[in-house]
Amino acid sequence: MKTTTRWSPAALRGANNEGILGLIVLFLIIGMTAVNPDFFSFGTFFSIIRASVVPMIFALGVLIVIVSGGIDVSFPAIAIFSAYTTVVLMQTSGMDFGVLGVLGVALVLGALLGLINGGLIARFKLPTLIVTLGTQGIFKGVLLAYVGSRYIAELPASMANFSTMDLVSIGDGSTVASLHVLIVPVVILCLLVHIMLRRTMFGRGIYAIGGDTEAARRAGFSVVRIQLALYALVGALAAFGGVLHVTLTRSANPQDLLGTELDIIAAVVLGGASIFGGRGSVLGTVLGVLLIQLINNSLILMGIPSAWQRTAVGLLLVIGVGIQALGARRASKKVIVPRETVVPS
Amino acid sequence: MSEQKSNETRQIALQTARSTNQRIDNVVSSSLARFHVSHGVGRMILLTLLAFVIFTIAAPQVFLNPLNLQNIAITSPEIGLLALAVMVALLTGGIDLSVVAIANLTTITISTLYSTIAATDEGLADSLGPVIVLVGFVVGLFGGFINGLLVSKVGITPILATLGTMQIFNGIAIVWTGGETLYGAPAMLNTVGTGAIAGIPLLFVVFIAVAVIIAVIINKTALGSTILLQGANPVAAKFSGIRTTRTLMSTYLISGALAALAGILIISRNPTASADYGSSYVLLVIVIAILGGTNPTGGFGTVLGVVLATLTLQIVSSGFNIVRLSSYEYAIAQGVILIGVMVIDQVTRNRQRSAVLKQRKLKVQLQAKDSNQ
Repeated sequence: MKTTTRWSPAALRGANNEGILGLIVLFLIIGMTAVNPDFFSFGTFFSIIRASVVPMIFALGVLIVIVSGGIDVSFPAIAIFSAYTTVVLMQTSGMDFGVLGVLGVALVLGALLGLINGGLIARFKLPTLIVTLGTQGIFKGVLLAYVGSRYIAELPASMANFSTMDLVSIGDGSTVASLHVLIVPVVILCLLVHIMLRRTMFGRGIYAIGGDTEAARRAGFSVVRIQLALYALVGALAAFGGVLHVTLTRSANPQDLLGTELDIIAAVVLGGASIFGGRGSVLGTVLGVLLIQLINNSLILMGIPSAWQRTAVGLLLVIGVGIQALGARRASKKVIVPRETVVPS
Repeated sequence: MSEQKSNETRQIALQTARSTNQRIDNVVSSSLARFHVSHGVGRMILLTLLAFVIFTIAAPQVFLNPLNLQNIAITSPEIGLLALAVMVALLTGGIDLSVVAIANLTTITISTLYSTIAATDEGLADSLGPVIVLVGFVVGLFGGFINGLLVSKVGITPILATLGTMQIFNGIAIVWTGGETLYGAPAMLNTVGTGAIAGIPLLFVVFIAVAVIIAVIINKTALGSTILLQGANPVAAKFSGIRTTRTLMSTYLISGALAALAGILIISRNPTASADYGSSYVLLVIVIAILGGTNPTGGFGTVLGVVLATLTLQIVSSGFNIVRLSSYEYAIAQGVILIGVMVIDQVTRNRQRSAVLKQRKLKVQLQAKDSNQ
C-alpha cells in the first residue's frame, strides 16, 4: 500500500472515516447555528458535553470490546450494580469513603464483574453476545433482588458536594453556563485509552485478537490473558461511568441505565469501529458520541418532539453503516488482482 | 535393492490407506458428536420436564391447577413466535433485534384502525375485523422487508441493521401513540384470545400450528435448505449457486411475518397496544432461541427445541411467581440457565474432542509399533 503524505485527502479522512464524521459534526453545528443563532453558545456547548460524559465512558469500554471482536451488552448492569452497591455500602456502614474511596470500591466491584464475563468468554470460548446477555440478567437480578431496589435520593456528602462542582462558569448576562468538573477525568480517560490501544503491547493484542484470534495466538499473544484483562478493564470503566451517572443525577436509582446498551453500541459503530473486530479508534468513538448528543440537542432546538430521537438515531445508524457497507461492496467488486504477488529473491 | 524398494512402497501404500481410513473415521465420529451436542431437543425435553417436576413438587396445588397451566399456555405463544422469528434469522448466521418493535407496530396499527372506524360505526369496525388484522400483518411484513433490504441488498451486518430498524420502528411507535396505551381491538380477536378447544387455549393452538408450518418450511422445502446452508457456510452457499440476496430477503420476511403474528396474538390476549410493550422481550427471546439449541453462528436449530425452551422459561416464570420469587430472581434464573447450558455444551464438546484426539494418538502409537515390527 502507498504511504500517504500527511495532509493528503486520504490521511484527513482517517483510517475509520473519522474525518468524514468530523465534517458531519462541523456541518451540523454550522447548520444549526444558521437555523437558530441561539444554538452557538457556551450554554449549548456545555450541556452537550455534560450529556456526553457518561455515554463517553461507556463508549470507551464498548470500543475496547468491539475492537477485540466481541459485543458487550452487560456494561450498564455492571455500571449501576457497582455504583448503587457502593452507595448502599456507605449508607449501611454509615461511613463516607470520600470521592476517591467511592471510586475505588466501585472500580473494584466493576472489575470483578467484568472478570466474570472475561472468565466465561476466555475459559469456555463462548460467544460474547450470549455470555454478556446472560450475565446482564444475573447482575441486574442480583442487584435488584439482594442489594436493593429502592431509589436513594440522599447521596453521601462527599458525592453530593462533588456533583455541584463546576470547572468553569461563564456568565453571559442573566444565564450562567457551567462546565462540569467531570469533563476532566473523561478527557484524561479518552487519552489513556487511546495511548493504551495505540502504544502498548496490550492494545496491539486487543486489535490482534479482534482481527484474527487464531493468528494472534500463533503470533504469541496470550488470548486468554488479554481477554481476562480487557473484560476486567471494561468492567472497571463501566463502574466509573456508573459512579459519574449517580453523581450527575444526584441520586442512586437501581433501575437507571439498564436498556441503554444498544444506544452506546450504535454510537461506537457510527464512530467507525467494525462490529467484526480489529478496527476502531478513540477519536471516532468520541465523534460518534458527540454526533448523537448533538442530534438529540438539535432536534429539541428545532422544536421536533423528543419522541423522534430514537427514530433519528436509528436512521443515522442505518444510513451511516449502509453507506460504509455499499462502499465496501463497490470496493470489493473493483479489486484488481496484482499480477506479481511473489517476488522472487 | 528392488525388493526393498517394493517393500517400502507397499508399506507406504498401506500407511496412507490406514491414515485415510482413520481420517474418515475421525470426520464421521466428530460430525456425529457435533450433531448430537447441538441437537438440543433431547436436552430441552429433559429441562422442560425438570422445571415442571420441580414446581409440581414445590407447590402442587397451585402449579397443577388447570387455571395456572392454562395461563402458561396463554402467555407462551407470543413469546414463542418472537423466539421463532429470532431463530429463523439466527439460522442464516444473522439476528433480528427488531422483532418486538415490529410486533408492537402491528398491534398499534390494528388498534388505531379499529378505534378510528369504531368512532363512527362500531358494527362496521367489527365486521371489517379480518381486513384490519390483515393490514396490521402487512405492516409487520413490511418491517421484515426493510430488514431484508438492508441486510441483503445494502449489505449491512444483520445485528446493526436490525438494531437500527428496532430504534426506527420503536421511535415511530412512540411518536404515533404519543407514548400512551391505545385501547380497542376487533371483536373477532377477542374470541381468539379467550377461546379454547378441549380446554386448550386457541392462542396455543395457533402457536403450535405456526410452529409446525415453520418446521416444515425449514426442514422440507428448498427455501429451508438454502437458509440452513447460508448459515452453515455462506461461501459454499454462494458457490453452489444459491442466490444469497433472495435467501436473506425471504429469511427476514419470514421473521417479520412471525413478529407480526406475535403482535396479533398480543392484541388478541389483551385489546391494548403500546410502543413499549415487552421491552424486556428482546433479550428474553434471544435467550429462548439459543437455549432451544439454535447455533448462534448459524446453520443449525430446531423449531421443537425453541418451542420447548419457550415452555421451560414460561414454566420457570410461573413457578417463580407461585413460590413467591420476584421477577428479579427470574432474571437471574434466565442468565444462569443460558450460561449453564452453554458451558455444559462446551465442556462436553471439549471432552468428546479430547477423546477423539486420545483415540487418534493411540492409533498412531499402534501404527508405530506395527511399522517397527
